[in-house]
Amino acid sequence: MIRIILRQLTVLILTLFLLSLLAFSLAYLFPGDVVTNASGVLATDVHYPAVAHARAFDKNILSQYLAYMSHLFSYDWGVSLQDGVSVWQEFKLRFPATLELSLLAMALALLLGPPLGILAAINHNKIIDQVITLFSLSGYSIPVFWMAQLCILIFAVALGWVPIAGQVNPLFDIPLVSGSILVDIWLSEQPYRGIALLNALQHMLLPVIVLATVPLVLLMRLTRNACIEVLRLNFVKGAYARGLSTPEVLFKHVIPNAMQEVTLHISTAFSLLITNILIIELIFSWPGLGRWLVRSIYERDYPVIQGALLLLTSLILLVNITTTIIHAWRFPRVRRELNAT
Amino acid sequence: MRHDLYYEERNPSPLQQAWLDFYAKPLARASLYTLCFLLFIALLGSFIAPFGANEQFSDALSLPPAWSNHGDLRFLLGTDSLGRDMLSRILHGARFTFGLPLLMVCIAGLLGMSAGVMVAMNAGLASASIKHLLGLFFSIPSLLLALIIIAVIGPGLSNAAIAIGLVFVPQFLLTTRNAIVEELDKDYVIASQLNGVSSSYLFMAIILPNIVKPLVTQFTLAFSAAILDIAALGFLGLGAQSPVPEWGAMLALSVELAYNTPWVMALPGLALFLTLISVNVMGETLRSTLQARMEH
Repeated sequence: MIRIILRQLTVLILTLFLLSLLAFSLAYLFPGDVVTNASGVLATDVHYPAVAHARAFDKNILSQYLAYMSHLFSYDWGVSLQDGVSVWQEFKLRFPATLELSLLAMALALLLGPPLGILAAINHNKIIDQVITLFSLSGYSIPVFWMAQLCILIFAVALGWVPIAGQVNPLFDIPLVSGSILVDIWLSEQPYRGIALLNALQHMLLPVIVLATVPLVLLMRLTRNACIEVLRLNFVKGAYARGLSTPEVLFKHVIPNAMQEVTLHISTAFSLLITNILIIELIFSWPGLGRWLVRSIYERDYPVIQGALLLLTSLILLVNITTTIIHAWRFPRVRRELNAT
Repeated sequence: MRHDLYYEERNPSPLQQAWLDFYAKPLARASLYTLCFLLFIALLGSFIAPFGANEQFSDALSLPPAWSNHGDLRFLLGTDSLGRDMLSRILHGARFTFGLPLLMVCIAGLLGMSAGVMVAMNAGLASASIKHLLGLFFSIPSLLLALIIIAVIGPGLSNAAIAIGLVFVPQFLLTTRNAIVEELDKDYVIASQLNGVSSSYLFMAIILPNIVKPLVTQFTLAFSAAILDIAALGFLGLGAQSPVPEWGAMLALSVELAYNTPWVMALPGLALFLTLISVNVMGETLRSTLQARMEH
């Protein structure tokens, strides 16, 4: 197990190193002045020579990379070309908002996806299975931006159950502390905390559901297929022959074996979710990282693009490695295969 | 019909069997017909469309589809807020949303697969660590990678297409390489190698038929992802720009108007949804029939 963790961590560090190289070289790849692209300081600025010196742009490429890394770790990610705010300060407020949305959606997907898949597998080729398969097929194929618009049109405009967009009603004067709205409401010592929390949850309902659909459907499909595979195997027949009841067979033999396949794909589901969050944040005007990234791409705000891409991709990689480690920890059989290669 | 004197049982070849299995499923057949129809529209849509993509009718702004009370039979699916015929726009748009991803995935597939074959058949540095490293790197979703490329080369339809093409090349390379490397260790390949076949024959006649399944799977997955990505980029305003009738860009245009004229939003989305569902059903069925073929 230790060997697996060490190996995975090595891979992670190597990948992060490659990623940092890529992020560093982006400053050269972007059109325009390199120093401006990396730091957000314009060439006309009085600080320009000092910044260029601090980032070692007068020296060779290796010391430039080292200077980039030291800036990265001292949280000096440059300033936005657009409004001059520090990129790191802005990230600190926006990243929790994104994380909040994605964690809630992922939790919903994990809570509903596998059970529905198991339900479909038990009733294989019956009506429940067909309904669930149809649902999974359409959920898998529906473009998320269309679905979000349809949901807004139906549930927010026509029925008026939930608000159209935003994070919380602006009448609640919530001070921005961490960026995550639920935590902020909790931290604000105000008498109407409960109502504000309810309001924020109402705002969150639609984006979370839309965001959860794709990972949910993916997990459901994988669980269903894995369960059907396992149900066909001989040891299930053996378990029945030994006189175990159906729930016992299911919970002790089928589900643990079927989950092996599914656990590995949690990271796939998560990376799909991160892709979709860019679009969802734009539609629901959620003040998160994704919306900022998209906006900065068409406003050519290079320091922001550089930072946001680095942050999002490292998040995905981190989740990926964690899933692999958990997978190896929970399923010893996989460990042997990983060691053999 | 010709009667044979001798009783002869005709067994279909494995590939024929897979095709028969595929064709026997009604949903798969429907998706095949839909895709053929889409291909037809993507090629000839601009000729059969009644109006031009950006032809405006100032007397017919925001008309609902023809079957509603206020509709006009001239505009079968209604018009948008600028008086453009929705049907024509969707027909024109198939070229960008269906044809362009198809073309890019074909090119990417050709490049990636041939490079993957080269790497797998020749190189000796097929180390597992490199495989893991690359695998991890390509777990970054394709849209995010496409965004990086677009950030470098700038927004626009052709740039979006290039970005999406580039993103899928390494994926094809990796899938092909892994599939071949997995086969190379098997007994039947070693036996043929001991027979002294040339490496090109080894690949074409012996390995290729056995790696059809992962390649086809990868192709359909990449195709569906490419359609979704190009539409998403159009929607975000980073791909096709406004007057181009790309379905994602049409959806982006309808964001503010959806509440008054819902059909402007519903129709391109529905077209996109049907396209994606056919591609996915097709991919799913192909995978299962090819799997069944392997097991026979």
